Amino acid sequence: MKKVFRDTCILFALAVLSVFVISIVWVGVTDEIKLVLELFALSFIISVGNYFLDEYTSLPVIGSYAVKYIAATAAVMLFGFIAGWFYRSNFWMAFIYVGIVIVLAYFIDAFRTRRDIDFINTRIKNRKG
Amino acid sequence: MRIEKRQVEGQPLTVIIEYPEWSESVESLVRKIGRMDISFAGKTEEGSVSIGISDVYYIENVERKLFIYTEGDVYRFDGSMSDIESRIEDTALVRISRTCIMNTDHLKEIRQIRNSHLEAVMDNDEKLIVSRKYLPDIKRIFKNEGS
Repeated sequence: MKKVFRDTCILFALAVLSVFVISIVWVGVTDEIKLVLELFALSFIISVGNYFLDEYTSLPVIGSYAVKYIAATAAVMLFGFIAGWFYRSNFWMAFIYVGIVIVLAYFIDAFRTRRDIDFINTRIKNRKG
Repeated sequence: MRIEKRQVEGQPLTVIIEYPEWSESVESLVRKIGRMDISFAGKTEEGSVSIGISDVYYIENVERKLFIYTEGDVYRFDGSMSDIESRIEDTALVRISRTCIMNTDHLKEIRQIRNSHLEAVMDNDEKLIVSRKYLPDIKRIFKNEGS
């Protein structure tokens, strides 16, 4: 099931990419395409930030997510102002958007970590008889 | 597969593989056995010592200097983490943080400390900090072991 989901995501990404390329060649960069490209650029910036936070800091889980929340919100706000997504009156929306993603990511990460630890410890027990 | 063992005194450890036809599984077996023979040149105040990969508990980078830890000893290693990583592919050694490589053959348990880090407890009860980022790599070693 996991493989089917992963293949679906890859296929979906390729389909979106090919539709975008054809649209850009045919009609140029529309507002919708521009928004998706901006979201892609923002995701890339946040992923690079996450990589460096994971690689060079060793904070507790909650601390790590708190730092990521602040860093990602700052990136979204900055990017949002440059790209014209927010007005000065509604910039706080960034806290909500990022907050939802961070909370989901935290629970998925916690679940996967628990599952991986159980798997490893079971294998060690089996190995040692 | 038939496994035969016999003691031959005065000879180094010798592994003979007999196969009806060369195949991918034979090649993989030869590669795995070859990797068990990897050793590192550890330095002590008395001189240089060869440390077999199975004796290594973990390798740590402390202020840009590498140290190899065995059950009860510590050796200095001249080289970089990337030198080591290039040699430990497909072995039981795996990176567990930016500064540490652990031998999963000597791993006793992985623990999650409440709201904090992951901790690897080794057979000699030493504790190492594990970065969550590298947990899937550790899992992969145990997964491959079972397949």
